[in-house]
Amino acid sequence: MLVTRLPSLLGIIGLVTIMAGCSSIPEDQRSDIRDKYENGNRDVFAFNMGVDTYVLEPVASGYRNTVPEGGRSAVKNHLKWASMPSTAINSTLQGKFENAGLATVHFLINGLTLGFADLTEDDAVVQREDFGQTLAAADVPEGSFLMVPVLGPKTTRSLAGTVVEMVLNPLGVLGSGNAAQTVISAQPAVGAVSFRAENFDAINDAKYNAVDPYARTRSVYYQTRRGLLEDRVTQRPGESVNDDEFSDFFEEAN
Amino acid sequence: MHRRQFMQFTRNLGLASSFATLGLTGTSLSAMAANNTPNAATAHIDAMIVDMMVLLEIDTGDMAARRESVTALLKKYFDFPGIARFSAGQYWRAATDAEKREYETIIHEVIVGTVVNNFDQLKGLQYTPVSSTAKGEKLAIVSGEFSDSTGARPSVLVNWRVTTVPGEPIRVLDIEIENISMLITQKQENIAIIRKNKGKFSALIDAMKAKLEG
Repeated sequence: MLVTRLPSLLGIIGLVTIMAGCSSIPEDQRSDIRDKYENGNRDVFAFNMGVDTYVLEPVASGYRNTVPEGGRSAVKNHLKWASMPSTAINSTLQGKFENAGLATVHFLINGLTLGFADLTEDDAVVQREDFGQTLAAADVPEGSFLMVPVLGPKTTRSLAGTVVEMVLNPLGVLGSGNAAQTVISAQPAVGAVSFRAENFDAINDAKYNAVDPYARTRSVYYQTRRGLLEDRVTQRPGESVNDDEFSDFFEEAN
Repeated sequence: MHRRQFMQFTRNLGLASSFATLGLTGTSLSAMAANNTPNAATAHIDAMIVDMMVLLEIDTGDMAARRESVTALLKKYFDFPGIARFSAGQYWRAATDAEKREYETIIHEVIVGTVVNNFDQLKGLQYTPVSSTAKGEKLAIVSGEFSDSTGARPSVLVNWRVTTVPGEPIRVLDIEIENISMLITQKQENIAIIRKNKGKFSALIDAMKAKLEG
């Protein structure tokens, strides 16, 4: 079971090693106050961009061009299904029992097809909850920004959540048969390709057109994460996590 | 509830790329509103989308013509002075008048270029207005959903942040998709560049010019 998570765990170990060799930089030298390891993070980002250029981008491009939409949707469904146990557990830990129940029901029903087919009417009602969000709900500080090899942007808190989820992945219990084990062990790589393919143009825009792709990636990560932490997994009409910033803008203009 | 063809667009990271497009022809329903209500903001977005559709219909792929059309569209519907001011963050006040003017020109070019380059991706989408919500006296969020009639692309909810300052024209200030604000992303990227260059606003201008020319 541990072997299947080896690449990700190696990434984290690599990050810890790199960070151990990096000292935090003074606030006035950071491009974002939350990014105390910025120099090391930018090095890791450059590495990740290399991985993207030589592996992920071409693979995702091929995936987009050769796998029909139905197949890509099935893969997305499976990945979403695979996250349901984690959502159920973390919802319970956060006292969101309705969401925990919904995640459990969706997991059981769609489990008939290993999640590849969505047999429920609308799984969008289940709000994704991970262990990083559980830590946030327990008022664990967010920590600083980290760029993790292969895994991408995290905060100290969300990385801790990721590590816990890797080690305690409930699906590992189900992976005793060869077929199931194969499917589960392929999830991280398939997930990366699926995500890259789904956001192909957007990621390429940031990668090739941004003046500072690292800063843009960091900004997008924080905004996305903030939405998750405020239970806006999917944006709602008329609601925004960014209202305060715009209110401040108009107040300053006065 | 009416559906209209319109734009595509990316998710997560990239809103900055495919967004913005707005209209040219016809009469704008928005105007200057003594009546700057959320309804007026909705009318502004509706008019923009109608104009956008016209442009998509007549677009032949001629890049020069497309750039000209898109420039006019954006000018009509977007608040470029506000976008420039917001995206420069706290460094706007310290910038010289010449730097401000130069930055306004550059950010305009960046946005026009983004829309022009992603114009083809806007074809084949339908737009469904969802809601309009006042955010104080000067701002409203108009929400709508873009969907692909073929089902090839997932539907996406978009929040248009529209200025409704009394006595001033209604304009689009920002586009937000899946919690990611185009303008805040631009602002944070800009501030990062300025901070890495010891607070020099001119460094941002130089970096953006180099990117545009590169």
